Amino acid sequence: MSEILKLENINYSYIDGGYERQILKDLSYGFEAGKFYTILGPSGSGKTTLLSIIAGLDTPNSGEIYFDGKNIKEIGLYKYRRNSISIVFQQYNLISYLTAVENVMLAMSETDNKLPKDRKNVAYNLLARFGIVRSKADRMVNQLSGGEQQRVAIARSLASNVNLIFADEPTGNLDTATEKEIIAIFKELSHEFSKTIIVVTHSDTVSAMSDQRVLLKEGKLHDIS
Amino acid sequence: MNFINRAFKNVTRKISKTILLVLTFFLIGNLVIIGLGVSSASESAKILTRQKMRAVVTYAIDYNKVSRYAESIEDEDELEEFYKNYPRVKIADVEPILQDQRVRIANSISNNMWYSGSDNSFDFVHLGNSREQNMDESGGQSCWYDESGTMQCENYKEPYFFIKSNLYPGMIEFEDGDYRIVNGRFYNQEEIDRGAGVCVISENLAQTNGVGVGDQITLASSYNSSYTKRFGITDEELDVPLEIVGIFAHNSPLTPDSPNYDYASPYENPDNMIFVPTTTVFMAQLPMQQKNFDYYAAQADPDDEYYSNPDNRPSADNMEQNMYIENVTILLDDPLNVDKFIEDHQSTLSQFASLDANNEEFKRLAKPLDTLSMYANFIVWLVVINAIVIITLVTALTLKTREYEIGVLLSVGASKIKVIAQFFVELAIVAILGFSLSVVSGSLIAKRIGNTVLEAQIATSDLEEEEDFNSGNYLDPWSTDYTTDITLEDLVSEYEVTVSPLIIAEIFVLGLGIVLISVVIPSFMIMRYNPKKILMNQN
Repeated sequence: MSEILKLENINYSYIDGGYERQILKDLSYGFEAGKFYTILGPSGSGKTTLLSIIAGLDTPNSGEIYFDGKNIKEIGLYKYRRNSISIVFQQYNLISYLTAVENVMLAMSETDNKLPKDRKNVAYNLLARFGIVRSKADRMVNQLSGGEQQRVAIARSLASNVNLIFADEPTGNLDTATEKEIIAIFKELSHEFSKTIIVVTHSDTVSAMSDQRVLLKEGKLHDIS
Repeated sequence: MNFINRAFKNVTRKISKTILLVLTFFLIGNLVIIGLGVSSASESAKILTRQKMRAVVTYAIDYNKVSRYAESIEDEDELEEFYKNYPRVKIADVEPILQDQRVRIANSISNNMWYSGSDNSFDFVHLGNSREQNMDESGGQSCWYDESGTMQCENYKEPYFFIKSNLYPGMIEFEDGDYRIVNGRFYNQEEIDRGAGVCVISENLAQTNGVGVGDQITLASSYNSSYTKRFGITDEELDVPLEIVGIFAHNSPLTPDSPNYDYASPYENPDNMIFVPTTTVFMAQLPMQQKNFDYYAAQADPDDEYYSNPDNRPSADNMEQNMYIENVTILLDDPLNVDKFIEDHQSTLSQFASLDANNEEFKRLAKPLDTLSMYANFIVWLVVINAIVIITLVTALTLKTREYEIGVLLSVGASKIKVIAQFFVELAIVAILGFSLSVVSGSLIAKRIGNTVLEAQIATSDLEEEEDFNSGNYLDPWSTDYTTDITLEDLVSEYEVTVSPLIIAEIFVLGLGIVLISVVIPSFMIMRYNPKKILMNQN
């Protein structure tokens, strides 16, 4: 399988209390297309920092990131975020004054990717696919449960028609049953729709369901067999 | 779901925030409307009143300036030289100003009183008042000293005709409709240039004498008193043959109801007014002026600097030198052009010449309106500055609560410019709503406040109405005052606070300006936002 995302010699550090803390150290790794990855690691190991760097929300001190063979600096971070990736957060990160369907359409309005003309229907269908029926899709997001909101967030991540989806502790606020449902969705996305899913998690349940578990340790990624 | 759409959703779904902001803009709008409305009403009242005033500018010598200059000269020879060449209005200096396209007509009027010619064939229009019945005594006495130093007196013969002469063709009075040509025409430039014997007489005078356009009449520029006879003047030399080129009518007959009717001399009757070119008057008086000069030259010391110089002897060649031109009143096409006209020509004026719009009274009376306008503008700027500060603060504070939303937008790839644009549109929508509502209430409040404040302004200003001495519709033949009398009432009557479409447009432009500036500082905050920090903090 080809690599959709390649990290080369990523270094990231910051100054904390006058001391430099090295989080990522000469990190190199390749993520293959259509696979479901989970990144594991102890608290403070830099999982979220790594996610924000590969999602184009932050930049490393050194090193290069290639998406589909192109350096994301050359693509441009805004364009990269708009057209190449989607992010699902633990707090769902939905906009409160928009309905569920409008939140999904938000991603559609920003991307330059080719999308069907009837975007609203596509958004409804996406939501329906993740169990959000039309009556709920038209509700303001704060009228939905946590699980429903996370489904909306996942639907939004798919709406811009990208192949790489990042998720930061997506099930952290959900009960076990809902957690399983969400992970099943991720798995379905990677296997049936050839999406690459990279999930940062603490959860063994989540990591157990992934295709590849990766451990972030001492600033480097290690495959766990 | 573009940024405009998002902005609309935010405004319509965050109702309480929207209502508060609309209310803020509504209050700002009201204050701005009051300020702009009052200020614009003041300016409009001034413009309307200025338009009512005659658009006249007077070219004259500023004698205050002359005397200040003379006082500054310490060298006596220099001072003497200065007095010899005393500043005076020169036709050539005025000419370039009169070429201006805005000039309609010019007046440089001189007045003389004349008599019937030696053949007594031309009579004046009789009033039959008490003065006329006692004309032999009513003129008083004319006295002079003879060669032996003895005072000689004889009864003064009262003149019949008021000769009003202009250096330029046409007259402001005809433009104003005080007089109007009913037959023939006014004298022209060519006739002025050659001092032609032409005149324009009243229709009553023409009727009295049974004459019309094309007829010749004979007047006398003076009567041959014992005084003038000393110079060797003959009655015939005082005769002035004139051809009637036009007949005029006027709107101000002297009637028994006129307050000064009984005491009016024949020449004060507008029917006995005759319009003659200034140059013609000069030529008519030339024989007497020459004989007068010759008479005194013969008696003067041979070394007398003035009389020994033949160039000083009045003649057609030195006409301007021997004519006194007090001023030239210029009528412009529009009262609103007056100030600009003066400004345009000010730099070309000679050292002591001045162009005066005669609008000091207007400026004095307009002072309460100016003060009102100044305060109103001050309020507008105060409100605008406060509005910018308040809205900036509100936006900046709102921004803090919307960091999360901004982070989400940035994470889905929305540019920071689009985020700022959304904030701008949101504020613009509420501003438009608030200002639209304030247009209705503001215009009502502005009207009430404007009138109250104006009344208070007038009450506290020390303006005093000057008493109007103009009684009835009597046309004063001597008057060369072409300014229009205006009163405080004139100004106040034009003062009306209305919220015009221009003001409404101004309010919306100002409102959008406030929104734009208010978004600037929060924009800097947004530009510094790091999506990772926002979202990771949230998570």
